[in-house]
Amino acid sequence: MTIEGNVLPLDRANVDTDQIIPAHYLTGIETTGLGKHLFAGMTGGAELLAAHPDASILVTRENFGCGSSREHAAWSLVDRGFRAVVAPSFARIFFENAYNNGIAPIVVDDAAIDALLAAPRLQIDLEAETVLAPDGATFGFTLDPLRKQFLFSGGYMAFLAAKRDAVRTWLQRRAKGQLVQET
Amino acid sequence: MEMSRSDLQSKPRSLFEKVWDAHVVEELAGGNALVFVDKIVAHEITTPQGAFEIERRYEDKLFDPARIIAINDHVSPAKDTETAIQAKVLRDWAKRHGIVLYDIGQNGICHVVAPERGHVEPGSTMACGDSHTCTLGAFGAFALGVGTTAQGGAMLAGCLIVQRPKVMRVTLDGRLQHGATAKDLALTVVATLGFKGGTGYVLEYAGDALATLSMDERMTVCNMAIEAGATTGLIGPDETTFSYLRGRENQPTGDAFERKVDGWRELAADPDAVYDREVRIDLSALRPMVSWGTNPGEAVPIDGAVPANADAGSLRYMDLEPGRALRSIPIDQAFIGSCTNSRLSDLRAAAEVLRGRTVSIPTIVTPGSQAVKRAAEREGLHDVFQDAGALWTHSSCGPCLGMSMGVLAPGARCISSTNRNFPGRMGTGGRVHLASPAVVAASAVLGRIASPDELAVEALAAG
Ligand code: SF4
Repeated sequence: MTIEGNVLPLDRANVDTDQIIPAHYLTGIETTGLGKHLFAGMTGGAELLAAHPDASILVTRENFGCGSSREHAAWSLVDRGFRAVVAPSFARIFFENAYNNGIAPIVVDDAAIDALLAAPRLQIDLEAETVLAPDGATFGFTLDPLRKQFLFSGGYMAFLAAKRDAVRTWLQRRAKGQLVQET
Repeated sequence: MEMSRSDLQSKPRSLFEKVWDAHVVEELAGGNALVFVDKIVAHEITTPQGAFEIERRYEDKLFDPARIIAINDHVSPAKDTETAIQAKVLRDWAKRHGIVLYDIGQNGICHVVAPERGHVEPGSTMACGDSHTCTLGAFGAFALGVGTTAQGGAMLAGCLIVQRPKVMRVTLDGRLQHGATAKDLALTVVATLGFKGGTGYVLEYAGDALATLSMDERMTVCNMAIEAGATTGLIGPDETTFSYLRGRENQPTGDAFERKVDGWRELAADPDAVYDREVRIDLSALRPMVSWGTNPGEAVPIDGAVPANADAGSLRYMDLEPGRALRSIPIDQAFIGSCTNSRLSDLRAAAEVLRGRTVSIPTIVTPGSQAVKRAAEREGLHDVFQDAGALWTHSSCGPCLGMSMGVLAPGARCISSTNRNFPGRMGTGGRVHLASPAVVAASAVLGRIASPDELAVEALAAG
């Protein structure tokens, strides 16, 4: 599967979840309709989005999505049409949330980011695990071999639902002391 | 793949590895594992969406409602119709499933309430749709902040998918002194590792100094593990832990409790356990810390100045320049509260500074739970705060996340006992300086960043 689209270049490190979507927009109970608040906590965020109205790939610097666990950060990106975030590193919880919502978190090195920030458009091949810039430059990345299936099917919950019986069995064995204990 | 008993006995393990091994249901591809969750803490901001998903697609079937507790905490009581609906959704869901619910009148910040009510046990695993779940690592639990989908998965199937973290041993030597507190240790850890320096690691605290830290202090230390990007923090249980839990509600009494303690005593890192990274911190060298920038790693000792190599974006947002002495920075508002510093000992420390003094700027004191509030009032701390001119509120996350009361005006500068100083965290355009409750209190009196010892000097001079 390939994600092809325009780039929103966000040349900043440590973009935290309060900048992606501030807490005062977390008053809803659904996962939809949050795109209008994307980057509402970021200086210059609205201007950046206005300048790249149809972007679907965010290119940014290290430690993207640090801070809060709010999945609203991923939901607001999804609602705005983003399908991938390319960065040198991600904060753990955002990284997980991205996979669970069909946003590919693509990790490439700092040098690649320098090049990709300048590209107006990118092609991301999720099978071949390559990012292709318009000038022909390509950069490799590795997806989490387990979580990448969640990108295609939105299937985190379905994956876990299928494990319920196995978990119950494990729990019964634990209750009977049949597992190796932690001592 | 399951390891045999002899494998496990032959390989020395960190405390983290012991807790991890005891909860792995299945190894998964890519270094991930299916990890059983002993208890889930659900709050009103991040739970409804996952609960709806289970209701709509999985017949509303939870794995085990007895393993869930629900707490309305972030905006409680509700501030408007939307937040009232959030609270109602959580409340109705909890009642429908027979889930233990802490609501208006008995609630507080989830990370304060869960341990206070005896829900956090050594060697257990905990999950919550909140990044500061790491606080609970203070009890020797593997406590993970997760997103709504992951929390929902745990509600549905009793498990999380977790990428196995590396383990960093943070060895603490010496003793806190010179006015340094657990908060200053927490800020020092983040400043030392850097804002993302802990990413991919569990911070397993070790060293003789741990025995000198109370449970409140340990929770403050573990609370900020996430601010270094760490997966969580972890402190092995000891007599301090056991006496905290002894007699708590939701814990057995008598022999049944002591039998649990016998099991918990085994929960220690093996002496020759191997760690992925080692850090040492001498507590006796610590001083009160204050953040100057826009992430918690941008903090320096209070005697210091904004660093020469400070990030330009942070400086611009905070309207500061390199070399500016922290003590010279005027403050518009002070806040004492949050899951970092809102427990009884934090309030005592702030009250000690404020007793007989008057604040010179708007000051809000928000206890971490209604139980903390009542305990503080029994000691008369509410009088100390109110006599000083501070606002004494009900328990809640409150001003910490700029979502309800105490929101900062653009450009306003707040000294705060919280854990995050991100741009806009406490209100659009608001500026936050993180510090200990005692430093916040002293700053509230002087209207600028100040430490309690300055007040002592002033009192002497005046006397
Ligand atoms: S007190 Fe602040 S940091 Fe803690 S859980 Fe509440 S909002 Fe989050």
